[in-house]
Amino acid sequence: MKKKSHVIRFVLGDQPVTLDFAREGILPSTTVLNYLRLVKGRTGTKEGCAEGDCGACTVVLGQYSNGSIDYRAVNSCLLFLPALHGKQLITVEDIADTDNHRVNLHPLQQSLVDHYGSQCGFCTPGILMSLFALYRQPGIPTRYEIQEALAGNLCRCTGYQPIQEAAEAAFSNKQTDRFDRFQGKIITFLKEFNETPEDLMIENNGQRYLRPAGLKQALEWRREFPAAVVVNGSTDIALRQSKKHEMIPEILDMGAICELKHFEHAEGYLRIGSGLLLEEVRRETEKIFPALHSMLGLFASRQIRQVATLGGNLGTASPIGDMLPFLITCEAALTLSGAGGERTLDAEEFITGYRNTALGQDELIRSVTLPLPKPDDHFRFYKVSKRKDVDIATVSGAFRLRLDKGTVTWVILTFGGMAEMPRRAFDTEKFLKGKPWTREHILHAMTIIRHEFHPISDARSGAEFRKLAAANLLMKFHHETVTGHVET
Amino acid sequence: MLKHESAILHVTGEAVFVGDMAVHMPVQYGHIVYSPWPHARIRKVDISAAQGMQGVSAVLTWKDIPGTNQLGPVIHDEPCLAQEEVMFIGQAVCLVAARDKDTARKAAASIRIDYEPLDFIPDVEISIEKDFPIQMPRMILKGDPDRVLKQSDHMLEGSLSTGGQEHWYLETQSALAVPGEGTGMKIYSSTQHPSETQGIVAEVLGLSRNELVVEVRRMGGAFGGKETQANHTAAWAALLAWAVRQPVILQLTREEDQTITGKRQRFLTRYSVGFNVSGELQALDVELNSDAGAATDLSMAILERAMFHVDNAYYIPHVRVRGTAWMTNKPPNTAFRGFGAPQGMAVIENIIDRIARYLGKDPIEIRKINFYNKPPRHLTHYDQAFELNRLETIFNRLTRTASYRMRRRDINRFNRDHEFCKRGMALTPVKFGISFTTSFLNQAGALVNIYRDGTVFISHGGTEMGQGLHTKIIRIASVELGIDPEHIRIGPTSTAFVPNTSATAASSGTDLNGMAVKNAIDKLKQRLSVYAATLFSASHQKPSEAKHIVFRNGQVSDSKDTRRSIPFHQLIPLACREQISLSATGFYRTPDIHFDKIKGKGKPFHYFALGMAVSEVEVDILTGAVRLLRTDILHDAGKSINVSLDLGQIRGGFIQGLGWVIMEELKYDRQGRLLNCSPDTYKIPTIGDMPGEFRVELLKDAPNPNTIRQSKAVGEPPFMLALSVWLAVKDAVSATGNHRFEPELNIPATHEAVLLAIEDIKQKNRR
Repeated sequence: MKKKSHVIRFVLGDQPVTLDFAREGILPSTTVLNYLRLVKGRTGTKEGCAEGDCGACTVVLGQYSNGSIDYRAVNSCLLFLPALHGKQLITVEDIADTDNHRVNLHPLQQSLVDHYGSQCGFCTPGILMSLFALYRQPGIPTRYEIQEALAGNLCRCTGYQPIQEAAEAAFSNKQTDRFDRFQGKIITFLKEFNETPEDLMIENNGQRYLRPAGLKQALEWRREFPAAVVVNGSTDIALRQSKKHEMIPEILDMGAICELKHFEHAEGYLRIGSGLLLEEVRRETEKIFPALHSMLGLFASRQIRQVATLGGNLGTASPIGDMLPFLITCEAALTLSGAGGERTLDAEEFITGYRNTALGQDELIRSVTLPLPKPDDHFRFYKVSKRKDVDIATVSGAFRLRLDKGTVTWVILTFGGMAEMPRRAFDTEKFLKGKPWTREHILHAMTIIRHEFHPISDARSGAEFRKLAAANLLMKFHHETVTGHVET
Repeated sequence: MLKHESAILHVTGEAVFVGDMAVHMPVQYGHIVYSPWPHARIRKVDISAAQGMQGVSAVLTWKDIPGTNQLGPVIHDEPCLAQEEVMFIGQAVCLVAARDKDTARKAAASIRIDYEPLDFIPDVEISIEKDFPIQMPRMILKGDPDRVLKQSDHMLEGSLSTGGQEHWYLETQSALAVPGEGTGMKIYSSTQHPSETQGIVAEVLGLSRNELVVEVRRMGGAFGGKETQANHTAAWAALLAWAVRQPVILQLTREEDQTITGKRQRFLTRYSVGFNVSGELQALDVELNSDAGAATDLSMAILERAMFHVDNAYYIPHVRVRGTAWMTNKPPNTAFRGFGAPQGMAVIENIIDRIARYLGKDPIEIRKINFYNKPPRHLTHYDQAFELNRLETIFNRLTRTASYRMRRRDINRFNRDHEFCKRGMALTPVKFGISFTTSFLNQAGALVNIYRDGTVFISHGGTEMGQGLHTKIIRIASVELGIDPEHIRIGPTSTAFVPNTSATAASSGTDLNGMAVKNAIDKLKQRLSVYAATLFSASHQKPSEAKHIVFRNGQVSDSKDTRRSIPFHQLIPLACREQISLSATGFYRTPDIHFDKIKGKGKPFHYFALGMAVSEVEVDILTGAVRLLRTDILHDAGKSINVSLDLGQIRGGFIQGLGWVIMEELKYDRQGRLLNCSPDTYKIPTIGDMPGEFRVELLKDAPNPNTIRQSKAVGEPPFMLALSVWLAVKDAVSATGNHRFEPELNIPATHEAVLLAIEDIKQKNRR
């Protein structure tokens, strides 16, 4: 049996840190943000909302990967400390070269100063860290890529333009920075930390935090601690702590399990491990499944996607969740691992009600198998939201259509935000099957959609709007399939 | 150009905010317990469980307030802690201090308050119906609107609703109260108005003002939200610190902040407008109704500013504006960038567009013929003459640089070719009056110290919330003293350095404090000039005269004979040895402004800030999604003290306005609860919401007489340039009905509102 450790090791800036929760009297699920501010006195990282929407708390995680370090911007307010295990944590305080009160700014910092990229300065550390992660990636990002990297950072002062200009200027004249200098040293640390995967079991302050390094141990712990909240990315569960101030007594964190992080592309389908980061799913599908790739582009923010996983997202069983409607329309299947072995379930069967799933007491989501659309299939995903970026859909629609000489032979229409869980528009599908794909039929189908759903009114919109938008999405789908033209 | 004075501290994470100071201090954590009811009687409060909890150092109710139980800044109508009745969700009832946040929260959760829910007023509509004005209504009357309305060629009537807005400063309300010797206390507060915070805390604690020091280094954004309502957090922190005799930090969580603090007032407006066949305005009758919330706060001054701005940039011969602020059971609404002017301007800009649609003309033609002009078309409805009118210059230049007419043709073509996608464009002007409309507030003070090594320390009455005020002050001082900016430091804003200041608000920060700093420097220069003249005279036959001494390039010289010169940093120690005072206070008050609130006449403004914007949008007709394709702005900032900072205010203000007009929405449930009290449902613009093309320019060669270095205030005016986006969206929606119907589109024009407006036009089309 492998050693079970209750200590985590990581690099803070360029210094290795060993954190013994019991000795330091720290709750295992302490967020990285609170640890930085209250334990380490690193107050540069700010709390703006404590729910991953503003990005003021953005820090960068360095992860060892094939002989180098992959740098990712993440929200420290939604990250539990054990997730740092084996990684490098970089905060705003680490970016400049400071030598006895003389500060040599990083090129990004200098550019922000030169372009008046900060006004009140409260969002600035987070903005800088998002840009820093991008800076550490090869190549020069486009204007769009810069905006994408900053979509999860709110600024209420500047109107963003000076930040954009500062970033463009810094990237167009990219230089080496101090992280190039000590990268070798960090890699040595991280390699050592990651050499022998450790199962973490941390018990302190009335909380048990389990972070298995393998699926087998995970399943054992799942059986042994059935009440443990399963976490795979923590961007949703952490809100129970950061916003609702709940104390979660037992947590089973799946984040360290390498077996769950695979991505397989075979003839006609994809198989994606439940532990794969959504950002990685996005990256992998750019060429092979552009619809999924672009859907994930509007899925939360990069900071969230670099922590959140596919399995974690499905496990939350959100009634809206962009991913589930998409998977249902793809006719994807989930593979669940349990004590008695594996079983496979359609995405549609997996979700059973408002935030409820068919996941058994002893089971964990292992992977998702996703048949790729056929070349002739029309496939579209639409998201209607108040704000384009980092907003939860008011209504989403994932549509897939097969035509034979202009007649519908096969169609799936799944909607998010229209019921207590993502749901297919069965009546509408039934009506359309065998009918010519004409505007006349679409207009009729739109009235069916309006009748077969009974959405609610909430903070995002009224019920009437949801019905109207859902029906209109069908018209949009029709228009785009017929004209071959995609508008906005 | 001088960089932002804190920029390096910002990018390195070194810049200290109130919440950061507490981390390095042995503090107790404050927490508030607030009402979950919009209106209820408090039957009983049981704090015993909380009091007995380990780690809890204080549990307070109104009974523990040593001074006056009041927070109202103008009218004393808001208790610090609720006594017998709660008037809104979020009203503080109890305070807790404990060793950490979790303990404080647990203690707070154990407090049992027995409420008896009462009927409540959820919104302005109901308040009007039940007749609950919060103060006496106001009116401004010019000419005979009733008669002229009847005689006009055309008359239109209508109503408009403009929504509230949450400030969403990135740094939530926070205060750190540190008890000192005896009864003294120092409060580090994220406040725009240290003097008022000092006054309110003094009243609540029953102390005199000289026992308290309120200090502000910087705020993480404020936008008006920390003009009066920072007082609350400071008062609560002070009460707790007073009770536990230890430093107490109180910083609201985002959800608390969004729930309990006031916002921009929602306005409900009714209007009648008369105009002639060519679209010239003849008479306007407007009734403004604002949602004050449960206490007056600044709502009356805000209402007044709205009334002053219903003309915006247009001359209207006959006007009646009536304004009423209504009581509702919501957190008292408060100042927010624009201070009522956006709500007032939205009315007239909407009217102009409506007239254009009605007459089948391009709205810019209607705007152009109605702009304020030469006498007699230069008098506002409150009788202030609009001097230095640059509207025509800005209009001509902007329509040209933005290729307005060409793009209008392109848009028409685009709209003919696209069924499910429509484009729209609008040009809107801003004429914004600069000065506090409560005239006595237009004053400021400063303290300038020159130390023996020739370095300079300044503290002035203004606070830094990101706008770059301190940077501008450094620039002003550097030019006036003729020394390098790096020898000048701005200290924190403190009631100990400069007393009895006004809020840093009304866009007046640089205008007022810059002048006060200059006044102090003038005094110092006067003293130094006399001394330098004596010094120069000693070694020359012909004496130097003090009036010819100049301060330039680090030198103090005789302008009549520039060989007579001494470096500033060498003159200073000599002056010190000669027992010359090297510290001076400065003061400024805006001259010649006055306003008679009863008559509704006067000259409330020192001058007007001007600007115009052209925005073009694309609307997805099937989803209501709006994409802002391009915005061109030409803004008059006078002779800019710092172009980049001014551009920063314009871009930032515009994007904030963009949020208000198309995105940010406050929804309440039937129990009066705010549904969007967190950023997952309350959406402010992200970087992706910036216009695809965003061209912002300052008007060149536009000095402003009688202000500091001929500059113009720039903080608030650009916010209202975003009305161009709203009207562009309306234009696009209107295109779905070939501009035959007036779109029913209020502010905010969210995707939901847009889609419903399109649907409405569809229905009208069918009929």
